[in-house]
Amino acid sequence: MEKQLEKIIRRVQKPGRYSGGEWNTVCKDWQNTYVKMAFAFPDVYEVGMSHLGLQILYGIVNGREDALLERVFAPWPDMEQQMRNTGLPLFSLESRRPLRDFDIIGFTLQYELSFSNILNMLDLAGIPLRSADRTGGDYPLIVAGGPCAFNPEPMAEFIDVFAIGEGEELLNDLLDAYLASRRSSEVRQDLLIRLAGIDGIYVPALYRVEYNNLGKINIVTPVCEGVPAQVQKRLVADVDAAFFPTRMVVPAIEAVHDRAMLEVQRGCTRGCRFCQAGIIYRPVREKEPEILLRHAGELLGSTGWGEISLTSLSTSDYSRVIPLVGELIRRYGSLGVNVSLPSLRVDAFSVDLAKEVQKVRRSSLTFAPEAGTQRLRDVINKGVTEDNLMAAVDAAFSAGWHSIKLYFMIGLPTETDEDLHGIANLARKVLDRGRKLVRSKGRLKVTVSVSSFVPKSHTAFQWEPQNSIAELKRKQALLRELLRGRGLVFKWHDPEGSFLEAVLSRGDRRLAGAIEAAWRNGARFDGWSEFFDISKWLMAFTSTGIDPDWYAYHRYHYDDTLPWDHISTGVSKKFLMREHLCSLEGATTPDCRSGRCQGCGLCTSLEVKRYLAGGETVASLSNTVQ
Amino acid sequence: MPRYRIQYSKRGPASYISHLDLVRTLERAFRRAGLPIAYSEGFNPHPRFSFAAPLPVGVEGLAEVLDVEMQDSVNHQDLAERLNGALPPGLAVLEVTDVSDNTLAPMAEFNAAGYIVHLDEDDLPGPLPSRAVQDFLTEEQIEVTRKGKDGREKIRDIRPGILKLDVLSQVSGLTMQLELKTGSIMNVRPEDVVEAFFRHAGMVVDKADLQTIRTGLF
Ligand code: SF4
Repeated sequence: MEKQLEKIIRRVQKPGRYSGGEWNTVCKDWQNTYVKMAFAFPDVYEVGMSHLGLQILYGIVNGREDALLERVFAPWPDMEQQMRNTGLPLFSLESRRPLRDFDIIGFTLQYELSFSNILNMLDLAGIPLRSADRTGGDYPLIVAGGPCAFNPEPMAEFIDVFAIGEGEELLNDLLDAYLASRRSSEVRQDLLIRLAGIDGIYVPALYRVEYNNLGKINIVTPVCEGVPAQVQKRLVADVDAAFFPTRMVVPAIEAVHDRAMLEVQRGCTRGCRFCQAGIIYRPVREKEPEILLRHAGELLGSTGWGEISLTSLSTSDYSRVIPLVGELIRRYGSLGVNVSLPSLRVDAFSVDLAKEVQKVRRSSLTFAPEAGTQRLRDVINKGVTEDNLMAAVDAAFSAGWHSIKLYFMIGLPTETDEDLHGIANLARKVLDRGRKLVRSKGRLKVTVSVSSFVPKSHTAFQWEPQNSIAELKRKQALLRELLRGRGLVFKWHDPEGSFLEAVLSRGDRRLAGAIEAAWRNGARFDGWSEFFDISKWLMAFTSTGIDPDWYAYHRYHYDDTLPWDHISTGVSKKFLMREHLCSLEGATTPDCRSGRCQGCGLCTSLEVKRYLAGGETVASLSNTVQ
Repeated sequence: MPRYRIQYSKRGPASYISHLDLVRTLERAFRRAGLPIAYSEGFNPHPRFSFAAPLPVGVEGLAEVLDVEMQDSVNHQDLAERLNGALPPGLAVLEVTDVSDNTLAPMAEFNAAGYIVHLDEDDLPGPLPSRAVQDFLTEEQIEVTRKGKDGREKIRDIRPGILKLDVLSQVSGLTMQLELKTGSIMNVRPEDVVEAFFRHAGMVVDKADLQTIRTGLF
């Protein structure tokens, strides 16, 4: 295998994607380790290596005496071609062993458009695609986690076990149960039943789905004892005590995010109604600055990265962000280490922060107002006003930035053309501010980037239909017209990808055949515009008798059983309904971060508390600054 | 600021690190080793490294050369040991020497390189004619085509860049030894030479089958 691999690796682009041997990799003794697990990232190396979850789980499993975790990424199409030509099976980077030799393969489901890659990886590994076809042979257990596991149904036929929620504790429980099962020589079915007893584990084969004559789901029931009717997500109550990987693997070829990642908090409760992450990662749990500083020191020392990124869903909301940034710069700035802040809130405070960390204003600053009018921003509960945005861009232009990026969504519920005109108006106002404040006018640039709204499970908009592809294209064309002019740049995505995303994110088990057919038609890397081809999917839907429009465009009713109702984020369906109703009236719901609990049901049902660094007495910046 | 010449090897998995990624890899290794390097001034400071002609991806280097400017002076052995403790598998420091002010940059100083190229038995198109090497080297011109940066094919004569070409062994495949011009004035790639050599003997090889090692720079 080694010789064969060396031969094909010289024939592909970026062989460093497959060669392994990066700094901080862990190569354990294969023979003397009980459980061998592979972490499979269904996208290319450079994307997968930018993922914090991979680094966390890598550290946790390899930190155990009895287990090892090795990595594998989706081979780029040139590599797939070589592998298929030569019969080389999919292998792990660390020990270069075929995936088939592992006990467990864990996929992460970060986005729906990577589903076809999962099938492709299973196939390249020589593992039957369907869970039902794996009961006979001694095949690895196929596990999947990540945000898309919150609606696991479209992938239910392919995956043996879904891990719902945060993985730190859950993965350890799963490995313990796996070991116990093996000690008592259980057959696969008994292992699955044992795993289904763990909080946060969903074994789809142990549930029966019944449909009514309208084609909607009637009821989902467990088929045997000891299997919960509803699976509750797992979360880490004490993020300060949770494992954090300070010996991250440093990629050998430049990753998309090639820098140290310091997770300052989990969760975001701003409550944007389209946002799934805001629901599934609740509640807000901040880490203590002292712990973060210790981790930062270890991380920089062990990796040598020259940049550290403070990651979270909304880093400017972290209540200790100013002292933390100041201290990081004081300690590591002179060593040439830069601090970076992704996901800036739309306000002047965030610009001040950016100013602090970015001494040279070379890149652009990005803000996401998401909608063009106050009415629509209230509908989606995006707590950003035009004044916030103007204050932010004023601060940015005055501080020397000359390029601003604005992110918007089109196709949001209740949207009219007036809201699209609102987008163009906002962009022009930003440009006007720039004309007043930027010295080198020639470099002034305002980029408007629009994505298409995708209704996601577990959000207040889960019942809402998506705009048709034709309607989204009309809206894009209108915006393109409205955004002509010097200094304005308009960017958009093809709506076909968003359509497929909607089908898969609101789909149910009946999609399995179509997903498999699309893969057989050659669907790969669907998240990459150079490879995505909707016709492969449309053919697959037709040949398997699936109407994709129904999945993307029909409006669910409140009393419908949703395909993901048996998976619980801890946030009650009642709360989501109330949020949905509020949205239609344009009524907003404040952040529960430091103010009043909004009664989403999470903290009581999962017995956790939101946690701010330094305790609840710390006034949140969102209140003091805005 | 003090400058040092580092002779290092780049083998195994590290041979797949491209030149650009190698700069990043080394920069991080110096940081991990706690050896502060000097940076250029300006908006986009980059480490003051000065390399000899870059190794192509997939080619192993037994004795590559890098000059580095440090913020403080360090003991040679200390530098070697600490850096070796921080380099990923396949990269290793062999020797550290001083660089005086009048030393040429490696790119200018080293204008030739030695290579060992091996082809497995299965990848050989056939046995070599007995006088293949002599016949090839008596040619006054050897033309190769290569796509330029603009995508257009360029023909050029590589004969002046071939300083030496020998067959070392024909047991279990073919092993050749080459000495070629390298660097900014004339740069000849070993795979181009081997391909031309076989073409001259009336045979075709797949460049991707060549296993190439750069043995040294001079
Ligand atoms: S239960 Fe209350 S405090 Fe907890 S996340 Fe929900 S709204 Fe916030």
